[in-house]
Amino acid sequence: MRLENPRPDETVNYSTEHPLKEFVWLLAGVSAIVAAAVALAGYFAGELAARVPFRVEKEYAAGITRHWEAQRLTPEGGEARATLRMLAAKLAAVMALPPGMDVTVHYADEKTVNAMATLGGNVVFYRGLLERLDSEDAVATVLAHEIAHAKLRHPASGLGRGVAVGVVLSVVSSGMGRGVGGDPVQVAGLLPLLKYNRDQERAADEAALAAVAALYGHVGGAREVFAVLGKLGRDDAARIGFLETHPLSSERLARVDEQARLRGWAPDGPVRELPPALAKLKPAQRTE
Amino acid sequence: MQLVLEYFELILFVVLLALGYSVGRVREKRHYQSIRRREAELAGVLAFGIRFPPDPNAPRECVLVTGSVVVSSDYFKQFVAGLRTLIGGRMAAYETLLDRARREAMLRMKADAVRHGASLILNVKFESTNVGGGMRGGVPAMEVFAYGTALKPAPAPREAPRAA
Repeated sequence: MRLENPRPDETVNYSTEHPLKEFVWLLAGVSAIVAAAVALAGYFAGELAARVPFRVEKEYAAGITRHWEAQRLTPEGGEARATLRMLAAKLAAVMALPPGMDVTVHYADEKTVNAMATLGGNVVFYRGLLERLDSEDAVATVLAHEIAHAKLRHPASGLGRGVAVGVVLSVVSSGMGRGVGGDPVQVAGLLPLLKYNRDQERAADEAALAAVAALYGHVGGAREVFAVLGKLGRDDAARIGFLETHPLSSERLARVDEQARLRGWAPDGPVRELPPALAKLKPAQRTE
Repeated sequence: MQLVLEYFELILFVVLLALGYSVGRVREKRHYQSIRRREAELAGVLAFGIRFPPDPNAPRECVLVTGSVVVSSDYFKQFVAGLRTLIGGRMAAYETLLDRARREAMLRMKADAVRHGASLILNVKFESTNVGGGMRGGVPAMEVFAYGTALKPAPAPREAPRAA
């Protein structure tokens, strides 16, 4: 018997293809598949959720409404809420809400610089943002923006979309055997979701502009709002547009002018002073 | 700077990927060079899967010889393999890793045989064990263990002391 150990054949057991070639193909292919799956699932889930009757959404969101209604407000806060509700009623009148839909505005005595629309037509306006706005027009623009979200059923479609996208991404994540982390595949999956978000913000901006233009005859308040938002937090230069949930403030400001030009609205005009109940919240005038 | 802080997680990922790729490539290249050199040096030690020696009646001593190696994947390989698990196919990222591990274990076993003065190893077997927590959560790492029976010539029988 002749025994021999030849040298290992290095062309059999492993591929000699450059690893970067496989990496690029896999990354591009998988990212495209995940992004397409997320976009599809997000689209259908969002559309489906937005078709749930508002009455059902409101019942579902009864807990949210109760939570905000149960907030104990100072007399100043109560006055602010009443003023916001009056302003919201004026805006709703020009915004043609669908039959059966109503919007409830809540005032949150917190320093958060934000306002939000959530399920069941609930709109929350935080003190932090109110303190930074200098005119009724600006407050109305924010309110109209949030009412537009409710009118366009964005909170419902956002929830439906979030659930569907969460399911798709968790399946991908467990399939890859890695945490969500900063994986580009996960980022690729989130890109369509962020795009939907930004599209919703643009739609709400447009509806809000139409409402304030109808109410005040110009869109100067919107310019103030986006200028204030632009000064908050990070500079637009330090943001990457397609990774953001909202369009950049600079873009929103430019769109105000563009929309004004296209629709024949006056881009600027005399703004109304803050109603006294809201003016009292400004830090310089607050007694606390 | 603000941009770096904002997208720190993504940047960290890219840095780890680049580091895994570049360091992993260099180390793999060096390891293969070392493997090829030592395979040539130990070419005189033969290893086989057969269970019985070619000449069963020759007087020999048997010694168990082993070689073990634990290898870990790098970040780049791990990521590419993760992508591959989604669509299937040849997992090239781990093929070189395990090829190196098997050959290294074999070399260590042969070196063990040389220490025992043997140049023939029979009934060679490989075992592999996942030691890194698997694909989920942990870094994939494997132990590859090679073992076999080394045969060396039996020492010449001592002559019995003559009676005075």
